[in-house]
Amino acid sequence: MDIGNILMAVLVFGVMVCVYIFLYLMNKKTPKPEGCEDLRADCSGCKDFACANHPSHHE
Amino acid sequence: MNRMENFKNGLIKDNPVFGLYLGLCSTLAITTSLNNAIGMGTAVIVVLILSNVIISAIRKIVPDDIRIPVYIVIIATLVSIIQMVIEAFAPALNTSLGVFIPLIVVNCIILGRAEAFASKNGVLDSALDGLGMGLGYLLAVLAMSFIRELLSSGGLVLTNPFNTEQVWMNLSLIPEEFRISLFSSPLGAFMTFAFLAAALTAYKSHAAKKAAAKTKEAK
Amino acid sequence: MFAELATLLITSVLLNNAVLNQFLGLCPFMGVSRKKSSALGMGIAVCFVIIAAGLVTYALYYFVLVPLHLEYMELVSFILVVASLVQLTEMFIKKTSPSLYKSLGVYLPLITTNCVVLNVCLINISNNYDIAHMLVYTIGTPLGFALVLYIFSTIRERLDAANVPTSFIGNPVALIVAGLMAMAFSGLAGII
Repeated sequence: MDIGNILMAVLVFGVMVCVYIFLYLMNKKTPKPEGCEDLRADCSGCKDFACANHPSHHE
Repeated sequence: MNRMENFKNGLIKDNPVFGLYLGLCSTLAITTSLNNAIGMGTAVIVVLILSNVIISAIRKIVPDDIRIPVYIVIIATLVSIIQMVIEAFAPALNTSLGVFIPLIVVNCIILGRAEAFASKNGVLDSALDGLGMGLGYLLAVLAMSFIRELLSSGGLVLTNPFNTEQVWMNLSLIPEEFRISLFSSPLGAFMTFAFLAAALTAYKSHAAKKAAAKTKEAK
Repeated sequence: MFAELATLLITSVLLNNAVLNQFLGLCPFMGVSRKKSSALGMGIAVCFVIIAAGLVTYALYYFVLVPLHLEYMELVSFILVVASLVQLTEMFIKKTSPSLYKSLGVYLPLITTNCVVLNVCLINISNNYDIAHMLVYTIGTPLGFALVLYIFSTIRERLDAANVPTSFIGNPVALIVAGLMAMAFSGLAGII
């Protein structure tokens, strides 16, 4: 494994992380359409903490 | 004291698998043998402790807005490392666990603990929490695989994961005509899980009743 | 060739079902199956994300990771693609169709940690599928997931009215139902 390969790996990784964080922030900024501001109330809630709707994310 | 309590809760009462129904996928899939359960349980404990420690250590640097993306990247990196280690040193385990090693990334327990505990608590507490929850997971898969392997193959086999020719334990307890091969099938997995979860619920409600009776008496 | 693809389709939808035979995606399977409407919403959302993620990760692997000799980054890059796609889908639906967002919006965040999605992406690579097989598998698996999720939710709605032993109320009895469904589905093995 040469240094170029490692640099390439870091580059690809960095680009993908940036794309993800960019999309995440864009999505967060996009306002929810009317009537959907509080969809969480409709979600009866499973115990999956990883879901962004889980009450533990919004204390 | 509080720390100890927290640790104990993860093992039985708030067991991540039977109590909270997290990480069901791997629990049902890999519990056909004791060997797989030990391997998977250990891998999950390692990932859980490391991710909890790292996330708790950087919890003050990470901007709140991009918390979840950062957690996902950290966990995915850790799982990649563990996957490569297992591939290199325990190839037999790698073949039998298959896709469930990379799928630790999406195991709800790990992201759940990162979000619910490690992002709010200190490094030591988070490491202990990871160990407690991880042991809870290990306990659950051990219980499941013990029942399933014993009933379906009539015995228990333990081999050295790093050298499969070295057999540590090879018990044969149930004669051939009494074995129930159903327990190695999906139906057996769902049934075993349902009965163990129901047993935990029954135990919890029994304990709650006892505690209520005790406080009543004290009054 | 055609027969082989048809077999793969039937296998991935019914015989080697993601939920009942491979135990994948059980978290949403247990969590979002209390109502028929939510099961349907989740099923459609999963189908959409899996098909998109399967295509993107396949392209990413063969056009970026392999030429650059970065195969070891498979897992990290795939989970990032899945997570990014979920965000993109959510944003797209928010902007274009409020009514669709109303019915599917709640389920999208759950999909990032749905093991079926990542599993499809990883299996496409590890089984060395060519493009035709990849397409069939990527479409078949989420269809099987959605089908089983919907059937399960219809059973669960009736289960609420049933007289179940106290300790089994809720998830344990639902798991037994899932087990019985798995047994029923294993009876379909004869069709191939």
